[in-house]
Amino acid sequence: MIDNAISLMIAIPLIAAIFAFMNGKFAKYAALIGSLIPLAISLQMFREFDRTTNVMQFVESYDWVPAIGVKYTVGVDGIGLPLILLSTIVTVLVVLYSWGEKKRPNQFFALLLLNEVGVLGVFAALDFFLFYIFWEVVLIPMFFLVGIWGGPRKDYAAIKFFIYTHVASLIMLLSIFALYFSYRTPEGLRTFDMLTLLAATGDSTIFSPMALNLIFFGLLFGFLVKMPAVPFHTWLPDAHVEAPTAGSVLLAALLLKMGGYGLFRIIMPMLPNVSPNYITLMAVVGVVSIVYGAFLALSQKDLKKMVAYSSVSHMGFVLLGAGALSVLSVQGAMFQQFSHGLITCVLFMSAGTIQHTAGTRIISELGGLADRMPQFAVLMMAGFMASLGLPGMSGFVAEVSVLAGSYENLPIYVLITVFGSIAVTAGYHLWAMQKVMFGPILKKYLDLKDPHSYEILSMSILVLLIIYFGVQPATITDIMGVAAEPLVKPFITLAQTGVI
Amino acid sequence: MYQDYAYLIVGLPILAFVLTIFLGWHLPKGGGFFTVLATFAGFILSFGIFREIYPNNEIVHQSMHWFASFNAGILIDPLAIVMLLMVTFVCTLIHTYALGYMEGDPGMARYFAEAGLFTAAMLGLVFSDNLLQLFIFWELVGLCSYLLIGFWYRKPSAASAAKKAFLVTRVGDVMFLAGIILLYTNMMRLNLVLPEGAYLLQFQTIYDSLALIPPDQLTWIALLLFGGAVGKSGQFPLHVWLPDAMEGPTTVSAMIHAATMVTAGVYLVARMFPLFYAAPDALMVVAYIGAFTALFAATMGLVMFDIKRVLAYSTVSQLGYMMAALGFGAAVGATAVGVSMFHLIGHSFFKALLFLCADSVIHAVATNDMREMGGVLRSMKWTGLTMLAGSLTLAGFPLTTGFFSKDEIIILAFENGAFGLGWIPYVFVILAALLTAIYTFRLWFLTFDGEPRSDYHKHESPWIMLGPLVVLALFALFMGMPTQGQFYDYVGNNFDHFGVDFEELAHIGGHHVEHGHVHEPFIFKILPIIVGVGGIIIAALFYSRWKRFDPSMVTSERDPLRHILLKRYYQNEIYTLWFAEKVVYGIALVSNMIDLKIIDGAVNKISAVSVGFGGTLRKVQTGVIQNYITAIVLGVAALLILIQLATMGVAI
Repeated sequence: MIDNAISLMIAIPLIAAIFAFMNGKFAKYAALIGSLIPLAISLQMFREFDRTTNVMQFVESYDWVPAIGVKYTVGVDGIGLPLILLSTIVTVLVVLYSWGEKKRPNQFFALLLLNEVGVLGVFAALDFFLFYIFWEVVLIPMFFLVGIWGGPRKDYAAIKFFIYTHVASLIMLLSIFALYFSYRTPEGLRTFDMLTLLAATGDSTIFSPMALNLIFFGLLFGFLVKMPAVPFHTWLPDAHVEAPTAGSVLLAALLLKMGGYGLFRIIMPMLPNVSPNYITLMAVVGVVSIVYGAFLALSQKDLKKMVAYSSVSHMGFVLLGAGALSVLSVQGAMFQQFSHGLITCVLFMSAGTIQHTAGTRIISELGGLADRMPQFAVLMMAGFMASLGLPGMSGFVAEVSVLAGSYENLPIYVLITVFGSIAVTAGYHLWAMQKVMFGPILKKYLDLKDPHSYEILSMSILVLLIIYFGVQPATITDIMGVAAEPLVKPFITLAQTGVI
Repeated sequence: MYQDYAYLIVGLPILAFVLTIFLGWHLPKGGGFFTVLATFAGFILSFGIFREIYPNNEIVHQSMHWFASFNAGILIDPLAIVMLLMVTFVCTLIHTYALGYMEGDPGMARYFAEAGLFTAAMLGLVFSDNLLQLFIFWELVGLCSYLLIGFWYRKPSAASAAKKAFLVTRVGDVMFLAGIILLYTNMMRLNLVLPEGAYLLQFQTIYDSLALIPPDQLTWIALLLFGGAVGKSGQFPLHVWLPDAMEGPTTVSAMIHAATMVTAGVYLVARMFPLFYAAPDALMVVAYIGAFTALFAATMGLVMFDIKRVLAYSTVSQLGYMMAALGFGAAVGATAVGVSMFHLIGHSFFKALLFLCADSVIHAVATNDMREMGGVLRSMKWTGLTMLAGSLTLAGFPLTTGFFSKDEIIILAFENGAFGLGWIPYVFVILAALLTAIYTFRLWFLTFDGEPRSDYHKHESPWIMLGPLVVLALFALFMGMPTQGQFYDYVGNNFDHFGVDFEELAHIGGHHVEHGHVHEPFIFKILPIIVGVGGIIIAALFYSRWKRFDPSMVTSERDPLRHILLKRYYQNEIYTLWFAEKVVYGIALVSNMIDLKIIDGAVNKISAVSVGFGGTLRKVQTGVIQNYITAIVLGVAALLILIQLATMGVAI
């Protein structure tokens, strides 16, 4: 394996973005190449990854601003690697799906690549400063994707997205600084090193419980907004409704995962040292997101908005699984991130394709499309079935792991989730499917036909991946399980000594 | 030798599914022969395995790791092998029939692809060696039924019936899943030291740990699992999807009602019988729900005029018998499993037969309404006679398969009463037997006897369709007598292979295993024959050429009871119009209101108050790029200032 794999993976899309920006004609080719190479690198990393250990691998570390202890440190473990894989896969497929983009293609493809730079950086950064920079970098391409290629209320949506998540980031930043200024290395130096600072939170001589709880809250808030969890979710449907399809896909598949990633990378290592009430908070917010999100999805008239709320509902499983603190539930929550990343792509692509072929996404105005778009109908059906948790597809594995793993610690929450959401989730998916796809075809849609082959191709690849990971989840859940173990270990001992 | 290829029983139909989906469009008959051959190969394999394991009373077990603490595996024991044989055999016949039936439908390839997957899912469900895998195939069966019921998706009623089938069974699945989670957690708590190759949710492990799980937990688990079975097997109150499920092609109804899908619920309870046995309260619920369903559905079968709908209610009713038989296991132990499964197998032959016959008639007459039929026997001898065979056995005419299997269930019901577990189920099942005979022959006489009541096209179906009918008719009539005793022995002792100690389980459940049969007075012995034959005679007196009475003498258009039956006890109104559309959708609308007005309203308020952006948010529709840049710059500036502070060593 080449050295500096991660840096290369981050740098290549950045360089390709510059090329794409310079020439609109070749932008899509630059984007395809610039996203295929990172995919190849991440696949190679995945093959070479040592699946038995939870230490950081492929680590690179250089001094950056030594005066203040900022380093460029990147590396991956079982938490980050699956999401890096997801990001590289999804970016390639989004580029493919957008192959026919006509409006300002140079900027469009450059932004898709820039987005990849940001998310890869977030999932690999092991230095808080670096992490925050990448975290903010991600905002910019998404902001412009919504603001330039968006729908009629794009400005409102773009600003709301930007301010909401930016405020959350700033609060998170305060917490990061509080961590930074509280700790000195044995040599008496300040450091932004993530793992060092997180380990230090266990030292009660450095952090008073009060201070630590506040710091923790700031971080948690930042991640909850990003996921998004109820009640901080209202920016999401607005952003999705106005965003172009590619933007929506990246937003739902990758950007939301940053919040979940924060839970596993930063929140869970601190969890043993903060008030146990936070565990309850996470579980409550998770269950409310799942159930309430499902009912919200049921009430939507716009297909895309329905899919957006289904994201809220599905991301709730990540919180629930993390809050349940068993290896199976945490592993399931990590897999839910990965799985939802794939499934939601199909859903948003479906909504997008319907929008630009039929001209509307209002469910009640559509009908009988399967008649004219048979291939597309099969793919959309597959995506919807995956989303409602059909076995044989990845979503089922993730959700069943979360539920089965959570019952021991959170029985009531699991029962509320199971009885409150599963049937409703099936309900809104099937209802939308029936209205949009089945029944007699409406007259105005008689001229429709299956969408472009590149759209069909990217959706097909996603569906195959969803089925593959539904049948062979161990390919990736193994490394998640290894990563989950140290996260829940402190709680097993606490439980045994009767503290919790 | 055959058992090494057991995985092919599911693998081949899946292969057929893939082949038909990709190549079917270019092949004659939509590539349907892939599915037929794959299913038939499954039958050969199953039969080969049966021949290998039957003589020495062995079982086949293969297993491998899947993910986390779960495995994937194959378990073929007596319970599974009889199901495998039945499903592959009946499905082969149904698929063959479909080659003729679906001829000319543009979606033929899709039909055979989905039918292949349906068969595969059902077979996978049957040979699973653990509960999670069973659930996975269970859900795939649900998916395939959704696709097949909605096969003619341009028809709104078909699309809607498909959705209904999926959602109603999903309600049961939710309980099933909750049951699995509860069972899993309870078994985790035991901290079992599992031997090499054993996994937590394997049936062997479950049977072994029943004695260690607290009894109240066992009762909950059993009830939740039963909830899944209620949904899938069309038991009251979740039976509503089944009569609507005939919106699909009739061959699909035949598959759903006979060989696949609805039998899954009964199979689940049979498979988990030791667990139910250790939870007698749950078993009692099974007995009562089953017996009630048997009667309840039969009442509705009496008044329907749609030929397929009558058969659909009869399926619900017969499933009630199977479920009740398992419930009576509280009194008689694992024998009940043999009895229930025998009825299941027999039923799958005659119900497939009846559906295919009904279809043959509909094909010729071009209506489902029995009021427009009459006298069909004259033009369709083979169909009429094979259907008569099916009707006789469904009505429980002496010496037919259905007679033996139903009689045995009624005996169990009697013993159940005699052992002090309640006489009500007995009353239900005996009344249901009477009604069954009446509605079955009402159907047969209305359709085949008398004079034609409309001007329909008279022709017999082709032999590719009649052939399967004849084979099924022979099985429906004569399978029962020679195999009955061996069958009870073979399947009834299924759990000996796992070392299940029913005495011990009875002790946990707090009841006793009763040995030996209760003395049954002579009148009770012949009662099933009386109600069976009596019912046929009653039907003949009302509907046949020997008619002595007119139906209007006992009921009229204004009869409220008849109205309730025709309205199917208003269940559609309660479930769909009230619960789904008013309650659930109402909650959804309220949630949406809360979201827009309260939560998002608060967000906008806060931003308005704190930054003064609220107004801007609404006004800035012009897209002033500078504003966005300003926001970004402000953020970065804040960052830089903080760093500056840091470098100067100012602590925050």
